[in-house]
Amino acid sequence: MLEIIRDGSQAIRLKGRLDATQSEMAFTEFDTLQGECRVWFEELDYISSAGLSVLLHTQQRLSKDGGSLTLCGLNQHVRLVFEYAGFDTIFTIE
Amino acid sequence: MDSLPVIVGFLEDAKRTQEFDDGAFFVLNMVVEELYTNMVKYNGNGADDILIGVEKEGGNMVIRLVDFDSEPFDYTSQSEVDVSASLHERTPGGLGIHLVKRFMDEVSYQYKDRKTSIRLVKYLNANA
Repeated sequence: MLEIIRDGSQAIRLKGRLDATQSEMAFTEFDTLQGECRVWFEELDYISSAGLSVLLHTQQRLSKDGGSLTLCGLNQHVRLVFEYAGFDTIFTIE
Repeated sequence: MDSLPVIVGFLEDAKRTQEFDDGAFFVLNMVVEELYTNMVKYNGNGADDILIGVEKEGGNMVIRLVDFDSEPFDYTSQSEVDVSASLHERTPGGLGIHLVKRFMDEVSYQYKDRKTSIRLVKYLNANA
């Protein structure tokens, strides 16, 4: 189960699991982000490659207009997924 | 893919009964999701016949997935993902299997009589 909480047009808070069953819903929500955006991960327990695809696609789309995602509050397990995927070099992680 | 929530419930039971910690449980979720979705995607006809098992053997977490009616697909010999590529060179393809191989300590693959068997081992005393 994934809950996505919007905070204006430039911030998203994720809660629960971002897996293959939730990635389509997440994609729809991320597709509305514009410019410099922050994604809060404090309450995200789990992410798989399906979730990483949503973030990668969004980062590629935003960067075309000079925007980007900044990812905040990743737990140690989620952070390791980003490191192993090499995503720590293509996202700003705080 | 509809089966994934049921599978997650099964993994939560396994966490409880076999006392896996949060780190091992995270890895268990990832490995099973990535391999199961891959099996369903490429061997759609066998989607109802995928067996998933997890147990603690000594200090290890051992995960098994068996697809009883499948084409050969050696998960252990897939080409490496270039994790140093620039943002615009990146594609999501292959990332799931790459993560499985990074998170697990041993991955073995067997294919015989249309049956694909994958056995994966995570040393629980090592860092995630």
